[in-house]
Amino acid sequence: MLKKLISLPIAAAFLVSCASVSSNDDFNAAWEAADAKRKEAAAVGYEWRDTKKFLKKAKAEHEAGNTEAAMKLVAKAHEEAEDGIAQHAREAELWASRVLK
Amino acid sequence: MRMFLVALAATAMAIGGLATHADPETDRIAFQKYYTTKFPSVPRDDFQNGIYSIDKVSREEWMEIEEFPPYELAIDAGRDQFETPFANGKSYSDCFENDGAVRGQYPYWDAERKEVITLELAINECREANGEKPLKYQKGKIAELSAYMSFMSRGQKVNVVIPTDDPDALAAYARGKEFYYRKRGQLNFACIDCHGSGSGNRVRSEMLSPAYGHPTGWPVYRSKWGAIGTIHRRFGGCNRQVRAASFKPQGREYRELEFFLTYMSNGLEFNGPSARR
Ligand code: HEC
Repeated sequence: MLKKLISLPIAAAFLVSCASVSSNDDFNAAWEAADAKRKEAAAVGYEWRDTKKFLKKAKAEHEAGNTEAAMKLVAKAHEEAEDGIAQHAREAELWASRVLK
Repeated sequence: MRMFLVALAATAMAIGGLATHADPETDRIAFQKYYTTKFPSVPRDDFQNGIYSIDKVSREEWMEIEEFPPYELAIDAGRDQFETPFANGKSYSDCFENDGAVRGQYPYWDAERKEVITLELAINECREANGEKPLKYQKGKIAELSAYMSFMSRGQKVNVVIPTDDPDALAAYARGKEFYYRKRGQLNFACIDCHGSGSGNRVRSEMLSPAYGHPTGWPVYRSKWGAIGTIHRRFGGCNRQVRAASFKPQGREYRELEFFLTYMSNGLEFNGPSARR
Protein backbone atom coordinates (compact mmCIF):
# COMPACT_ATOMS: atom_id res chain seq x y z
CA MET A 1 0.00 0.00 0.00
CA LEU A 2 2.74 2.38 0.97
CA LYS A 3 4.58 1.47 -2.15
CA LYS A 4 1.54 2.29 -4.16
CA LEU A 5 1.12 5.64 -2.47
CA ILE A 6 4.64 6.61 -3.28
CA SER A 7 4.60 5.43 -6.82
CA LEU A 8 1.41 7.24 -7.65
CA PRO A 9 2.86 10.73 -7.58
CA ILE A 10 5.92 9.48 -9.42
CA ALA A 11 3.77 7.97 -12.12
CA ALA A 12 1.72 11.11 -12.28
CA ALA A 13 4.80 13.27 -12.56
CA PHE A 14 6.10 11.01 -15.29
CA LEU A 15 2.84 11.30 -17.20
CA VAL A 16 2.73 15.06 -16.90
CA SER A 17 6.29 15.45 -18.11
CA CYS A 18 5.58 13.12 -21.02
CA ALA A 19 2.51 15.10 -21.94
CA SER A 20 4.41 18.35 -21.74
CA VAL A 21 7.20 17.08 -23.92
CA SER A 22 4.81 15.99 -26.61
CA SER A 23 2.67 19.13 -26.30
CA ASN A 24 5.84 21.16 -26.56
CA ASP A 25 6.64 19.46 -29.83
CA ASP A 26 3.06 19.84 -31.00
CA PHE A 27 3.09 23.50 -30.15
CA ASN A 28 6.39 24.19 -31.85
CA ALA A 29 5.35 22.37 -34.99
CA ALA A 30 2.02 24.15 -35.13
CA TRP A 31 3.66 27.49 -34.45
CA GLU A 32 6.27 26.99 -37.16
CA ALA A 33 3.59 25.96 -39.66
CA ALA A 34 1.50 29.03 -38.87
CA ASP A 35 4.50 31.32 -39.15
CA ALA A 36 5.45 29.78 -42.49
CA LYS A 37 1.90 30.46 -43.74
CA ARG A 38 2.14 34.01 -42.50
CA LYS A 39 5.33 34.48 -44.49
CA GLU A 40 3.65 32.98 -47.53
CA ALA A 41 0.86 35.55 -47.19
CA ALA A 42 3.38 38.37 -46.73
CA ALA A 43 5.25 37.27 -49.86
CA VAL A 44 2.17 38.07 -51.96
CA GLY A 45 1.45 41.26 -49.99
CA TYR A 46 -1.47 39.83 -48.05
CA GLU A 47 -0.37 39.50 -44.45
CA TRP A 48 -3.06 40.74 -42.10
CA ARG A 49 -2.39 43.20 -39.34
CA ASP A 50 -2.64 41.03 -36.24
CA THR A 51 -1.28 37.68 -37.36
CA LYS A 52 2.21 38.35 -36.05
CA LYS A 53 0.77 39.62 -32.77
CA PHE A 54 -1.19 36.38 -32.32
CA LEU A 55 1.94 34.33 -32.87
CA LYS A 56 3.88 36.37 -30.35
CA LYS A 57 1.11 36.07 -27.80
CA ALA A 58 0.90 32.34 -28.45
CA LYS A 59 4.55 31.96 -27.47
CA ALA A 60 4.00 33.86 -24.25
CA GLU A 61 0.94 31.79 -23.36
CA HIS A 62 2.83 28.62 -24.11
CA GLU A 63 5.71 29.65 -21.89
CA ALA A 64 3.25 30.46 -19.11
CA GLY A 65 1.91 26.93 -19.43
CA ASN A 66 -1.42 27.92 -20.96
CA THR A 67 -1.32 25.33 -23.68
CA GLU A 68 -4.92 25.57 -24.73
CA ALA A 69 -4.86 29.36 -25.11
CA ALA A 70 -1.54 29.12 -26.95
CA MET A 71 -2.85 26.57 -29.43
CA LYS A 72 -5.98 28.63 -30.04
CA LEU A 73 -3.88 31.65 -30.95
CA VAL A 74 -1.72 29.60 -33.27
CA ALA A 75 -4.81 28.26 -35.00
CA LYS A 76 -6.17 31.78 -35.36
CA ALA A 77 -2.92 33.02 -36.88
CA HIS A 78 -2.80 30.08 -39.27
CA GLU A 79 -6.36 30.72 -40.39
CA GLU A 80 -5.70 34.43 -40.95
CA ALA A 81 -2.67 33.63 -43.08
CA GLU A 82 -4.69 31.20 -45.18
CA ASP A 83 -7.50 33.71 -45.53
CA GLY A 84 -5.03 36.35 -46.69
CA ILE A 85 -3.61 34.02 -49.32
CA ALA A 86 -7.12 33.16 -50.53
CA GLN A 87 -8.01 36.84 -50.61
CA HIS A 88 -4.98 37.54 -52.77
CA ALA A 89 -6.04 34.85 -55.24
CA ARG A 90 -9.65 36.03 -55.27
CA GLU A 91 -8.60 39.61 -55.94
CA ALA A 92 -6.48 38.61 -58.94
CA GLU A 93 -9.49 39.21 -61.15
CA LEU A 94 -11.92 41.08 -58.95
CA TRP A 95 -9.85 44.23 -58.53
CA ALA A 96 -10.22 45.20 -62.17
CA SER A 97 -13.99 45.42 -61.79
CA ARG A 98 -13.53 48.36 -59.41
CA VAL A 99 -11.41 50.53 -61.68
CA LEU A 100 -13.15 53.85 -62.24
CA LYS A 101 -14.27 54.10 -65.84
CA MET B 1 -20.41 29.57 -86.48
CA ARG B 2 -17.04 28.54 -85.15
CA MET B 3 -15.47 31.61 -86.74
CA PHE B 4 -18.11 33.74 -85.14
CA LEU B 5 -17.34 32.33 -81.67
CA VAL B 6 -13.64 32.85 -82.14
CA ALA B 7 -14.26 36.42 -83.23
CA LEU B 8 -16.52 36.94 -80.24
CA ALA B 9 -13.92 35.58 -77.87
CA ALA B 10 -11.28 37.79 -79.44
CA THR B 11 -13.48 40.84 -79.02
CA ALA B 12 -14.23 39.94 -75.42
CA MET B 13 -10.53 39.54 -74.76
CA ALA B 14 -9.78 42.85 -76.40
CA ILE B 15 -12.40 44.57 -74.28
CA GLY B 16 -11.24 42.79 -71.14
CA GLY B 17 -7.68 43.70 -71.98
CA LEU B 18 -8.65 47.30 -72.53
CA ALA B 19 -10.47 47.49 -69.25
CA THR B 20 -7.51 46.23 -67.25
CA HIS B 21 -4.69 47.75 -69.20
CA ALA B 22 -6.15 51.08 -70.17
CA ASP B 23 -3.41 53.61 -70.70
CA PRO B 24 -2.67 55.95 -67.78
CA GLU B 25 -4.18 58.98 -69.48
CA THR B 26 -7.50 57.21 -70.12
CA ASP B 27 -7.45 56.14 -66.47
CA ARG B 28 -6.77 59.67 -65.28
CA ILE B 29 -9.57 61.23 -67.28
CA ALA B 30 -12.09 58.65 -66.07
CA PHE B 31 -10.83 58.95 -62.49
CA GLN B 32 -11.18 62.72 -62.33
CA LYS B 33 -14.52 62.66 -64.09
CA TYR B 34 -15.86 60.25 -61.49
CA TYR B 35 -15.24 62.77 -58.70
CA THR B 36 -16.24 65.91 -60.55
CA THR B 37 -19.50 64.14 -61.45
CA LYS B 38 -20.03 62.82 -57.94
CA PHE B 39 -19.39 66.22 -56.35
CA PRO B 40 -20.56 68.69 -59.01
CA SER B 41 -20.59 71.67 -56.67
CA VAL B 42 -16.93 71.32 -55.72
CA PRO B 43 -14.69 73.56 -57.85
CA ARG B 44 -11.98 71.41 -59.40
CA ASP B 45 -9.06 72.97 -57.55
CA ASP B 46 -10.82 72.56 -54.22
CA PHE B 47 -10.23 68.80 -54.34
CA GLN B 48 -6.74 69.74 -53.15
CA ASN B 49 -8.22 70.32 -49.73
CA GLY B 50 -9.17 66.71 -49.06
CA ILE B 51 -12.14 66.16 -46.82
CA TYR B 52 -12.73 69.91 -46.45
CA SER B 53 -13.70 70.11 -50.10
CA ILE B 54 -16.89 68.21 -49.31
CA ASP B 55 -17.45 68.48 -45.54
CA LYS B 56 -18.93 71.94 -44.93
CA VAL B 57 -19.00 71.61 -41.16
CA SER B 58 -15.38 70.66 -40.60
CA ARG B 59 -14.31 73.09 -43.31
CA GLU B 60 -15.10 76.06 -41.09
CA GLU B 61 -13.09 74.67 -38.23
CA TRP B 62 -10.22 73.99 -40.65
CA MET B 63 -10.27 77.54 -42.06
CA GLU B 64 -9.83 78.83 -38.53
CA ILE B 65 -6.95 76.45 -37.92
CA GLU B 66 -5.30 77.62 -41.14
CA GLU B 67 -5.07 81.15 -39.71
CA PHE B 68 -2.39 79.93 -37.30
CA PRO B 69 -1.30 76.79 -39.06
CA PRO B 70 0.07 74.06 -36.81
CA TYR B 71 2.60 73.09 -39.49
CA GLU B 72 4.40 76.43 -39.35
CA LEU B 73 6.96 75.23 -36.81
CA ALA B 74 7.74 72.28 -39.03
CA ILE B 75 8.39 74.58 -42.00
CA ASP B 76 10.81 76.63 -39.89
CA ALA B 77 12.59 73.54 -38.60
CA GLY B 78 12.81 72.22 -42.14
CA ARG B 79 14.27 75.49 -43.39
CA ASP B 80 16.93 75.36 -40.66
CA GLN B 81 17.86 71.85 -41.68
CA PHE B 82 17.87 72.78 -45.34
CA GLU B 83 20.24 75.67 -44.78
CA THR B 84 22.58 73.90 -42.38
CA PRO B 85 25.62 72.46 -44.18
CA PHE B 86 26.47 68.77 -43.93
CA ALA B 87 29.74 67.72 -42.29
CA ASN B 88 31.39 67.77 -45.72
CA GLY B 89 30.47 71.42 -46.24
CA LYS B 90 27.81 70.74 -48.87
CA SER B 91 24.11 71.07 -48.24
CA TYR B 92 20.69 70.14 -49.53
CA SER B 93 20.84 72.96 -52.05
CA ASP B 94 23.61 71.03 -53.79
CA CYS B 95 21.05 68.28 -54.46
CA PHE B 96 17.91 70.37 -54.89
CA GLU B 97 17.85 73.45 -57.09
CA ASN B 98 15.76 76.52 -56.55
CA ASP B 99 16.06 76.62 -52.72
CA GLY B 100 14.34 73.28 -52.56
CA ALA B 101 11.24 74.36 -54.49
CA VAL B 102 11.17 71.09 -56.41
CA ARG B 103 7.98 69.40 -55.19
CA GLY B 104 6.49 69.46 -58.67
CA GLN B 105 9.26 67.16 -59.95
CA TYR B 106 8.22 64.27 -57.70
CA PRO B 107 7.39 61.47 -57.85
CA TYR B 108 9.11 60.61 -61.11
CA TRP B 109 10.12 57.50 -63.02
CA ASP B 110 13.87 56.92 -63.15
CA ALA B 111 14.37 55.00 -66.38
CA GLU B 112 17.92 53.98 -65.57
CA ARG B 113 17.23 52.69 -62.09
CA LYS B 114 13.83 51.40 -63.19
CA GLU B 115 12.04 52.68 -60.13
CA VAL B 116 9.88 55.48 -58.80
CA ILE B 117 11.73 58.25 -56.98
CA THR B 118 9.78 60.20 -54.38
CA LEU B 119 10.76 63.43 -52.67
CA GLU B 120 11.49 61.73 -49.36
CA LEU B 121 13.62 59.06 -51.01
CA ALA B 122 15.57 61.79 -52.81
CA ILE B 123 16.12 63.63 -49.51
CA ASN B 124 17.69 60.57 -47.94
CA GLU B 125 19.74 59.80 -51.03
CA CYS B 126 21.09 63.34 -50.90
CA ARG B 127 22.10 62.79 -47.28
CA GLU B 128 23.78 59.49 -47.98
CA ALA B 129 25.62 60.86 -51.00
CA ASN B 130 27.06 63.45 -48.63
CA GLY B 131 28.05 61.04 -45.92
CA GLU B 132 25.06 61.65 -43.62
CA LYS B 133 22.87 58.99 -42.07
CA PRO B 134 19.43 58.52 -43.67
CA LEU B 135 16.41 59.80 -41.73
CA LYS B 136 13.42 57.75 -40.61
CA TYR B 137 10.70 58.01 -43.22
CA GLN B 138 7.39 58.66 -41.50
CA LYS B 139 7.76 61.69 -39.26
CA GLY B 140 10.23 64.01 -37.61
CA LYS B 141 13.08 65.56 -39.55
CA ILE B 142 12.22 64.16 -42.96
CA ALA B 143 8.65 65.42 -42.66
CA GLU B 144 9.99 68.84 -41.66
CA LEU B 145 12.31 69.00 -44.66
CA SER B 146 9.50 67.88 -46.90
CA ALA B 147 7.23 70.52 -45.31
CA TYR B 148 9.74 73.27 -46.03
CA MET B 149 10.34 72.11 -49.59
CA SER B 150 6.62 71.72 -50.25
CA PHE B 151 5.96 75.15 -48.82
CA MET B 152 8.60 76.62 -51.14
CA SER B 153 6.90 74.78 -54.02
CA ARG B 154 3.30 75.78 -53.36
CA GLY B 155 1.42 76.34 -56.57
CA GLN B 156 3.54 74.00 -58.68
CA LYS B 157 1.42 71.78 -60.89
CA VAL B 158 1.02 68.09 -60.28
CA ASN B 159 2.42 66.73 -63.51
CA VAL B 160 3.61 63.16 -63.14
CA VAL B 161 5.00 61.84 -66.41
CA ILE B 162 4.63 58.18 -67.29
CA PRO B 163 6.70 57.37 -70.34
CA THR B 164 4.29 55.18 -72.29
CA ASP B 165 7.11 53.78 -74.44
CA ASP B 166 8.80 52.34 -71.35
CA PRO B 167 7.27 48.98 -70.40
CA ASP B 168 8.93 49.07 -66.95
CA ALA B 169 7.37 52.43 -66.17
CA LEU B 170 3.98 51.20 -67.33
CA ALA B 171 4.37 48.07 -65.20
CA ALA B 172 5.18 50.17 -62.12
CA TYR B 173 2.12 52.31 -62.79
CA ALA B 174 -0.02 49.21 -63.29
CA ARG B 175 1.16 47.72 -59.97
CA GLY B 176 0.38 50.96 -58.14
CA LYS B 177 -3.06 51.01 -59.72
CA GLU B 178 -3.74 47.38 -58.86
CA PHE B 179 -2.71 48.06 -55.27
CA TYR B 180 -5.28 50.83 -55.08
CA TYR B 181 -8.14 48.67 -56.30
CA ARG B 182 -7.36 45.43 -54.48
CA LYS B 183 -9.21 44.55 -51.32
CA ARG B 184 -7.02 43.76 -48.35
CA GLY B 185 -7.05 42.94 -44.68
CA GLN B 186 -9.48 41.19 -42.41
CA LEU B 187 -12.10 43.86 -43.13
CA ASN B 188 -11.72 43.23 -46.86
CA PHE B 189 -11.59 46.80 -48.15
CA ALA B 190 -9.86 48.38 -51.12
CA CYS B 191 -8.66 52.00 -51.05
CA ILE B 192 -11.28 52.78 -53.66
CA ASP B 193 -14.09 51.35 -51.50
CA CYS B 194 -13.59 54.12 -48.97
CA HIS B 195 -12.24 56.93 -51.13
CA GLY B 196 -14.29 56.23 -54.29
CA SER B 197 -17.83 54.97 -53.84
CA GLY B 198 -17.53 55.59 -50.10
CA SER B 199 -16.35 59.18 -50.36
CA GLY B 200 -18.87 61.52 -48.75
CA ASN B 201 -20.10 58.76 -46.42
CA ARG B 202 -19.26 58.66 -42.76
CA VAL B 203 -17.42 55.95 -40.87
CA ARG B 204 -17.96 56.50 -37.18
CA SER B 205 -17.63 60.28 -36.82
CA GLU B 206 -15.40 60.78 -39.84
CA MET B 207 -16.40 61.63 -43.39
CA LEU B 208 -14.43 59.89 -46.14
CA SER B 209 -12.58 62.12 -48.58
CA PRO B 210 -12.42 61.77 -52.37
CA ALA B 211 -9.16 60.34 -53.71
CA TYR B 212 -8.90 63.08 -56.30
CA GLY B 213 -6.49 65.55 -54.68
CA HIS B 214 -5.21 63.09 -52.08
CA PRO B 215 -1.50 63.51 -52.85
CA THR B 216 -1.30 67.30 -53.17
CA GLY B 217 -1.09 68.57 -49.60
CA TRP B 218 1.72 66.56 -48.01
CA PRO B 219 3.24 66.42 -45.54
CA VAL B 220 0.27 66.84 -43.23
CA TYR B 221 0.02 68.03 -39.66
CA ARG B 222 -2.61 65.76 -38.21
CA SER B 223 -4.18 66.64 -34.87
CA LYS B 224 -4.49 62.94 -34.18
CA TRP B 225 -0.72 62.52 -34.66
CA GLY B 226 0.02 65.81 -32.90
CA ALA B 227 2.79 66.15 -35.46
CA ILE B 228 3.62 66.36 -39.11
CA GLY B 229 3.82 63.12 -41.09
CA THR B 230 4.46 61.88 -44.61
CA ILE B 231 2.01 60.40 -47.09
CA HIS B 232 3.51 56.94 -46.60
CA ARG B 233 2.65 57.18 -42.94
CA ARG B 234 -0.94 57.77 -43.97
CA PHE B 235 -0.84 54.85 -46.43
CA GLY B 236 0.30 52.64 -43.55
CA GLY B 237 -2.51 53.88 -41.31
CA CYS B 238 -5.12 53.27 -44.00
CA ASN B 239 -3.82 49.73 -44.56
CA ARG B 240 -3.86 48.94 -40.86
CA GLN B 241 -7.33 50.29 -40.24
CA VAL B 242 -8.73 47.56 -42.47
CA ARG B 243 -6.52 45.16 -40.49
CA ALA B 244 -4.00 44.52 -43.22
CA ALA B 245 -0.31 44.63 -42.40
CA SER B 246 1.20 47.87 -43.64
CA PHE B 247 4.15 48.03 -46.00
CA LYS B 248 7.54 49.60 -45.49
CA PRO B 249 7.52 53.37 -45.94
CA GLN B 250 9.40 54.15 -49.17
CA GLY B 251 9.38 50.49 -50.11
CA ARG B 252 8.50 49.65 -53.70
CA GLU B 253 4.78 49.14 -53.01
CA TYR B 254 4.09 52.55 -51.50
CA ARG B 255 6.27 54.41 -53.99
CA GLU B 256 4.36 52.84 -56.87
CA LEU B 257 1.09 53.56 -55.10
CA GLU B 258 2.14 57.20 -54.78
CA PHE B 259 3.12 57.22 -58.47
CA PHE B 260 -0.34 56.04 -59.50
CA LEU B 261 -2.26 58.21 -57.04
CA THR B 262 -0.32 61.37 -57.89
CA TYR B 263 -0.76 60.77 -61.61
CA MET B 264 -4.52 60.59 -61.00
CA SER B 265 -4.33 64.16 -59.64
CA ASN B 266 -2.35 65.59 -62.54
CA GLY B 267 -3.46 69.14 -63.25
CA LEU B 268 -4.08 70.13 -59.63
CA GLU B 269 -1.51 72.09 -57.63
CA PHE B 270 0.77 71.03 -54.82
CA ASN B 271 -0.38 72.92 -51.73
CA GLY B 272 1.44 71.26 -48.85
CA PRO B 273 1.98 71.24 -46.05
CA SER B 274 -1.58 71.05 -44.76
CA ALA B 275 -3.54 70.58 -41.58
CA ARG B 276 -5.95 67.72 -41.03
CA ARG B 277 -7.91 66.35 -38.16
C1 HEC C 1 -12.07 51.79 -44.24
C2 HEC C 1 -11.96 52.97 -45.02
C3 HEC C 1 -10.63 53.36 -45.62
C4 HEC C 1 -9.87 52.63 -46.50
C5 HEC C 1 -10.12 51.24 -47.02
C6 HEC C 1 -8.77 53.48 -46.85
N1 HEC C 1 -8.86 54.67 -46.22
FE1 HEC C 1 -7.69 56.30 -46.54
N2 HEC C 1 -8.73 57.33 -45.14
C7 HEC C 1 -9.79 56.86 -44.41
C8 HEC C 1 -10.21 57.85 -43.46
C9 HEC C 1 -11.34 57.71 -42.46
C10 HEC C 1 -9.36 58.96 -43.65
C11 HEC C 1 -9.40 60.31 -42.90
C12 HEC C 1 -10.53 61.14 -43.44
C13 HEC C 1 -10.36 61.42 -44.88
O1 HEC C 1 -9.60 62.33 -45.27
O2 HEC C 1 -10.96 60.68 -45.70
C14 HEC C 1 -8.46 58.60 -44.73
C15 HEC C 1 -7.50 59.46 -45.25
C16 HEC C 1 -6.65 59.15 -46.29
C17 HEC C 1 -5.70 60.05 -46.88
C18 HEC C 1 -5.45 61.49 -46.42
C19 HEC C 1 -6.27 62.46 -47.18
C20 HEC C 1 -6.00 63.85 -46.76
O3 HEC C 1 -6.42 64.76 -47.51
O4 HEC C 1 -5.41 64.10 -45.71
C21 HEC C 1 -5.05 59.39 -47.87
C22 HEC C 1 -3.94 59.93 -48.77
C23 HEC C 1 -5.60 58.05 -47.91
N3 HEC C 1 -6.58 57.96 -46.95
C24 HEC C 1 -5.19 57.07 -48.77
C25 HEC C 1 -5.66 55.75 -48.73
C26 HEC C 1 -5.09 54.68 -49.50
C27 HEC C 1 -3.94 54.80 -50.47
C28 HEC C 1 -5.80 53.57 -49.18
C29 HEC C 1 -5.55 52.15 -49.63
C30 HEC C 1 -4.25 51.62 -49.26
C31 HEC C 1 -6.83 53.96 -48.24
N4 HEC C 1 -6.70 55.28 -47.97
C32 HEC C 1 -7.77 53.11 -47.73
C33 HEC C 1 -10.40 55.63 -44.58
C34 HEC C 1 -9.97 54.64 -45.44
